[in-house]
Amino acid sequence: MSDATPYIGRAMKRVEDPRLIQGLGTYTDDLRLAGLLHACILRSPHAHARIRRIETSAAKAIPGVVAVFTGADVNDSCGAVPCAAAIPDLKAPRHTVLAGDRVYFVGHAVAVAVATDPYIACDAIDEIEVDYDPLPAVVNAMEALKSGSALTHPDMGANVAFTHVVNGGSDIDAAFRNADRIIKHRLYHQRLTPMPIEPRAVVASYHRGEGTLTLWTSTQIPHLLRTLLPNMLGIPETKLRIVAPEVGGGFGAKLNVYAEEALCAHLAMRLSAPVKWVESRRENAASTIHGRDQIGDYEVAVKNDGRILGLKATSVADLGAYLQLLTPAVPTLTGLVLTGCYKIPAIRFEVVGVYTNKMATDAYRGAGRPEATYLIERLMDVVANELKIDRLDLRLKHFPAPGDFPFATSCGVTYDSGNYQGTLAKAKQLADWDALMADRKAARAAGKLFGVGVSTYVEICAMGPSKAMPAGGWEWGCVRMEISAKVTVITGVTPHGQGQETSFAQIVADRLGVPIEDVAVLKGDTNVAHYGRDTYGSRGTAVGGTAIVMSVDKVIKKAKTLAAHLFETLDDYVVFENGKFKAPGITAREIAWSELAAEAYLAKNLPAGFEPGLEASSFFEPENFTFPFGTHICAVEVDRDTGEVAITKYVAVDDCGNQINPLLVEGQVQGGIAHAIGQALFEQTIYDENGQLLTGEFMDYAIPRATDIPEYTLGSTVTPSPVNPLGVKGVGEAGTIGATPAIANAVIDALTPLGVVHLDLPMTPERIWRAMQTRTVATV
Amino acid sequence: MWPPRVRKVKLTVSHSVPADRQRVFDALGDPAILRRCIPGCESLTATAPDAYEATLKIGVPGIKGVYAGIAAISDKHPPESLTLSFEGKGGPGFVRGSAAIVLSPGEAATRVGCEADVQVGGLIAAVGSRLIEATARKLAGDFFNQLSKEMSATT
Repeated sequence: MSDATPYIGRAMKRVEDPRLIQGLGTYTDDLRLAGLLHACILRSPHAHARIRRIETSAAKAIPGVVAVFTGADVNDSCGAVPCAAAIPDLKAPRHTVLAGDRVYFVGHAVAVAVATDPYIACDAIDEIEVDYDPLPAVVNAMEALKSGSALTHPDMGANVAFTHVVNGGSDIDAAFRNADRIIKHRLYHQRLTPMPIEPRAVVASYHRGEGTLTLWTSTQIPHLLRTLLPNMLGIPETKLRIVAPEVGGGFGAKLNVYAEEALCAHLAMRLSAPVKWVESRRENAASTIHGRDQIGDYEVAVKNDGRILGLKATSVADLGAYLQLLTPAVPTLTGLVLTGCYKIPAIRFEVVGVYTNKMATDAYRGAGRPEATYLIERLMDVVANELKIDRLDLRLKHFPAPGDFPFATSCGVTYDSGNYQGTLAKAKQLADWDALMADRKAARAAGKLFGVGVSTYVEICAMGPSKAMPAGGWEWGCVRMEISAKVTVITGVTPHGQGQETSFAQIVADRLGVPIEDVAVLKGDTNVAHYGRDTYGSRGTAVGGTAIVMSVDKVIKKAKTLAAHLFETLDDYVVFENGKFKAPGITAREIAWSELAAEAYLAKNLPAGFEPGLEASSFFEPENFTFPFGTHICAVEVDRDTGEVAITKYVAVDDCGNQINPLLVEGQVQGGIAHAIGQALFEQTIYDENGQLLTGEFMDYAIPRATDIPEYTLGSTVTPSPVNPLGVKGVGEAGTIGATPAIANAVIDALTPLGVVHLDLPMTPERIWRAMQTRTVATV
Repeated sequence: MWPPRVRKVKLTVSHSVPADRQRVFDALGDPAILRRCIPGCESLTATAPDAYEATLKIGVPGIKGVYAGIAAISDKHPPESLTLSFEGKGGPGFVRGSAAIVLSPGEAATRVGCEADVQVGGLIAAVGSRLIEATARKLAGDFFNQLSKEMSATT
């Protein structure tokens, strides 16, 4: 093994795959516990209503029903669902686990039935009678701001949750005074439903003798749950074990503390029996967080030569009825990368968070950065179009030079490293840009609607420095060289599909000089991975991987001390190479891990004061975020008759710093682009004027299918991050962030000959077709 | 599509029933006949003049369930027209609305025209909104077919 090429940098298949592909993974719903009870939740069919009365006796009378509880039964003993976002002057309603005397959105949990069988529990909720007095629902966030609007939470007196303002860089008013032109544009970021394949699922089990509660839940954040649930359950964190088994997709939707998690835990304690709740697809659509839903008015101050002097953004974020864990924080993230990868000297960003009678919005793949990237990348095209400047030239003109990094932006963050010109050049080359332009010309001459879109993006990853993160942004990791010379790695990041069981093993195997098969990565159980801050914001490898590297280095340092003792020399003379300890010039003897580990644990011959064992753990606190970037180029052809969009070419060049496993990087980019195709072309969560959710399943909420995914041409450049020793940046959200504007810009470009200058997302065949019907006279 | 489209279900149906207007008009207010003709009707009782309470079992996938509801007849102009308002709720959600019913004379038959505004909520809206019109048409068709049989049988 020692002479083989390093594992790091190799496109290795995931060690996770065989079990997942063969159906051998254990998901929460796979758990079978003795005496398991099943919960089913009755949800509100009204967007806003007063509950006059709830009658549960018929439900309780069904054989097999163990208990039926309403808000009156549990809300006093089970605490409120927390929001961790630190926003000044935030107004928040109390978010009880079940509705109190009002319901605030369709899908709001009203009552729970617990039975010996899941089907009996479902039958039971049909027998619960709720007498609702429907009230006016607040559905449109812009209308909600007007005086005289109905109120989402009448007792709060207003629909505004917060106003967040950032003024950054130079004087924004001066920038707008000095402008030759001010270009204004309104953009919508539609509401999206994350739709993981596996909906949420919870099993709670309480051990009365030990006083311990174990909660298995399909979550991204077992450690944050362990931090936050004690307040809700009245149980110390030392008695709480959270396990995230296999998780069938999160995308931010499972970066949350949900009422159902606390409720099941509460029920298990109250009923002294394990309780399982598995969300249905329909419940998932209504009661798991949604994403995006921002409306923004944007103004760009430009000189006629294309120089952008300043950018003003005024946006309204539709929060839904309640604050989930990070609901109000997500729209504020937009302000951190408002300027994208451009030098824009002055900004003003204002976002108003508004309550509506809908499900809460929260982090969904990209969380805040897709909004920023979509708006700046659409605006770059709009500005280029209005000023008749080449869109690539406009972008290049505003890129910081590679030598400008670390680059402090007017948004108040410092981009760690970058070479934006590099990804643009490489993407142009992979897309064969000149030929593509010739193709467009020929297609247009032939009467076809052919367009090419570009997006050059930068995003924020490796979350993050603790001072910027509500719950701490560090990460914990542990490495143990076992007595058998196998290696156990424990990470606090809770990967759930990102592949760190593989990539962390690559890192550790290289550094310890052991075969990768000898390294096992443990995660996702707070009794095993004692501490952690979990997976979100593309932080796993950059932050969690660094904690592993620090721990490996500590183990090697300790091992050197033991080797020196065995060599009867000093630490400084010991060399560690290719998995072996040597003392050149002192002895020809080499000590392998197998020998050293046995000595460390059998402990018959240790140096004075040497602790037995070879294990180390570390907390890594990042000094900054990382800022991956890239260029996406998309070519589309729009069907003149149906408005359907066919993606004919897709090129993505992403720079996520050093790559531990290029295959995983590609997988993340591919999945990310698929999400973006959904947002750009198909997906929109729709509530009607009464606050009724109309997109409750896949027949009405169109996610991309296999046939909608084009062949990708993927490339990368490598600009290492100086923020962590691995030089990695993160890539979990890049595809989604970069691709949505590239596709949107391509469709608009295709429709340019018809005089269409903008369409809102999603660019469905219907919307495009309608735009084509109203513009039958070509203006270009 | 922004702000989101509103899907108000408006339904217009028209059926021919082989009886004169007065008989059809009377039948539409007769609990015994209604109980036999309304598809999936498990019970229907008059709670007051022109007010009814009913239980319906609907077997359409997606909105399947037992619905309990109330209905009231108003604006009666025998034998020409009446207004039916209704409200029902069941496991999958709720349905409420009103229907303006007009009876016009035809050859040996009465044409019953019905214009309904229907509002739905809960799962019915989330998963069934695309099915509502077709379902309502089907249920209305079943109702009038059964009513026609009743009318022919008792002629």
